[in-house]
Amino acid sequence: MTTRQTILIVDDEPQIQRFLGHALMAAGYETRLAGNGSEALASIAAQEPDLMILDLGLPDMNGKEVIERLRLRSDLPVIVLSAHDQEMEKIMALDLGADDFVAKPFAIGELLARLRVGLRPRRSSRVEVISQDGVVIDLDAHQVTRDGEQLRLTPKEFDLLAVLASNAGRVMTHRRLLQQVWGPAHVDDVPYLRVFIGQLRQKLEADPARPSLILTEPGIGYRWAQPESGKT
Amino acid sequence: MNQVDTAQFKDAQFRDDRRWMTAPSLGGFLGAASILVVIAVTVGSARQVLPESIAILLFLTAVLINAAGFGFWIGIASAFGALAGFNFMYVEPHFTLHIAQPQDLITLAVFLLAASITGLISGRLREQVDAAEARAAALEVLSQVSTELAGAATPSDVTRIAVRHLNALSMGPALALGPVDGQLRLLAAVPEGYLPEASELEAADNAWRRGRPEFASAQGWSGSRLTFYPVNGGTERKDAIVLGHARIPADRRNHGWRDQVIAVIMRQITQALQRLALTERAAAERRRATSEELRAALLASLSHDLRTPLATILGSVTTLRQLGGTLSPEAQDDLLAAIEEEAERLARYVEKLLQLTRLQAGVEVHSTWVDAGDAALAAVNRARRAWPDARIEDAIPPLPMIHAEAGLLEQAVFNLIENAVKYAPGVIRVAGTVEAAPAGAEPGTGRVLVLSVTDRGRGLPGPIGEWLASDSMTVGPQLTGLGLQISKGIALAFGGTIAASHSALGGAVLEIRLPVPKEQGA
Repeated sequence: MTTRQTILIVDDEPQIQRFLGHALMAAGYETRLAGNGSEALASIAAQEPDLMILDLGLPDMNGKEVIERLRLRSDLPVIVLSAHDQEMEKIMALDLGADDFVAKPFAIGELLARLRVGLRPRRSSRVEVISQDGVVIDLDAHQVTRDGEQLRLTPKEFDLLAVLASNAGRVMTHRRLLQQVWGPAHVDDVPYLRVFIGQLRQKLEADPARPSLILTEPGIGYRWAQPESGKT
Repeated sequence: MNQVDTAQFKDAQFRDDRRWMTAPSLGGFLGAASILVVIAVTVGSARQVLPESIAILLFLTAVLINAAGFGFWIGIASAFGALAGFNFMYVEPHFTLHIAQPQDLITLAVFLLAASITGLISGRLREQVDAAEARAAALEVLSQVSTELAGAATPSDVTRIAVRHLNALSMGPALALGPVDGQLRLLAAVPEGYLPEASELEAADNAWRRGRPEFASAQGWSGSRLTFYPVNGGTERKDAIVLGHARIPADRRNHGWRDQVIAVIMRQITQALQRLALTERAAAERRRATSEELRAALLASLSHDLRTPLATILGSVTTLRQLGGTLSPEAQDDLLAAIEEEAERLARYVEKLLQLTRLQAGVEVHSTWVDAGDAALAAVNRARRAWPDARIEDAIPPLPMIHAEAGLLEQAVFNLIENAVKYAPGVIRVAGTVEAAPAGAEPGTGRVLVLSVTDRGRGLPGPIGEWLASDSMTVGPQLTGLGLQISKGIALAFGGTIAASHSALGGAVLEIRLPVPKEQGA
């Protein structure tokens, strides 16, 4: 048995800290607590945790600022908790380098699932073949099949699919997808992205109107559904 | 005072201005006659020593004086009188009025010429004096009207001022009519109780519908006896009011300047109404902006104040259900306690939200006479029940009644106490005082009722104090909860303010400052 992984909980609400502490302990994690941004940064500097759960509305500095400062020296996975339903907040946090977000209020199962994705080691070597829900993506051969049937994808469609599928379970913002697939000049061409996602869904999904592989995060981006094996 | 002035002006101005045509008055005749008699007696008694030429000059002087002083006709009459007197004493045969020589006719002609020229010149002079007086009177009326209009606070003030002056200027009934539910109704009339006839109402209605003046029918013709002008301070024709005044009598030769004054007054009234309409629109805009800001503040704080307890409740419940087996009994208890506490907190927020929603509408605040002291005490008692451990003192003497809503006022004070309980350990003091109007304040400001909550904590962060003091209802600094925002909203809704300062003992002082209505001064 490996040592328990440490989660840093950064939230100014004692009640949130309280139940997250119990829940994460019960789920088998060590927890550390911080009530504001500078405490969080100090705690990370003292000893880096395995993941940080960060509330965006902190009394001393904005959560976005915490991420920005953190990213200067660490790629510690960060899951953002947000009580603000403004999309911009989340998008900016994600663009600044947060790995995922969970909107308050949330069920613990959702947070734990995101935690597992966040704690999963990032793929150092590319996985050759991704297989999920009858769809098989061969990244090297640039080939995609659904139920054994070969699909015809344009090069851009394939690139987009590759980026999404290799980040299974992680939210990918519009900006990040556009930058990786089309380049920095196209980061604002969200309608363009939407068209390609639509085409991919037409080709991949069993029911394009109710996608089960490429999930929409409204206003923020897309997420490749986490493989079944990873779910609780 | 204004009434008196206009009456005086009326007397001064309605004399005819063409003086040389004026019919001579009896007083004028008597005056002229006595001057002639004095001259005649003087000349008669000194007849032995006065040469004839000097006597003629003396009589001529009398004619000039009379013509200049009493007008053309008396001047002519004096010329005859003077000639008669001179003739009586100097012309052969003495002491008769018999004219024997032709040079006497020449003397008469000279007298008549002098009298008529002098009479005409002095008449013209009087005309000019009268015209100047009329101009001065017109200016006085206009400046009076504009002074009064500048002080008018409501459109009905404006119509009252207008009707009063129109009545004085036209020396007849004056009316103001305005639309009420799409129908023209009488707003004001001078003399009071004047009821317009059907023909007048019809003319007023025409003026209102067509948006142009409807003139009185000429004397002797059937139709409206009043002239009606539509006057519009707004943008829509139907917003116009109609002002009516009696026809300026045609036999008044100076009616021209009256028409001009009335035209100018109409323009002034239009401007006054426009000014009031603009002021009203600006005020409405301000109210709307405040309400928008209140809504924005509400939405922003919703996120934090409603979702945090919800997050704890949902998170704790799902933790208990999904991880219950692995939790220690203490942890399970703690989670249940957290759920209970947060559910109660949520209930309090929802209650506040309902109140804020009412505040947001602004107009729905039903202000009545409220005993501010009772409301503050009720808040203190509620706070003592909610936090039995908190030490809350009250120093609330009998306070004046103010215009407010008891429930909201209580909530405003309660929120301040709640804030103190949450952030400042130690004694909390709730006090009520009344301050005199600050020196140099506008005359309208009266006394101020101050409800204060003083704590022994570390004091409020600066930005919150600044935010509280501002007029803005925009989102407060991040630390501001719903409570302070509601207190501020309530204070603003009752025409008051909220202020924060540091107490001498080191804590924060939060004050709700509300105006004490004037009637309560007695």
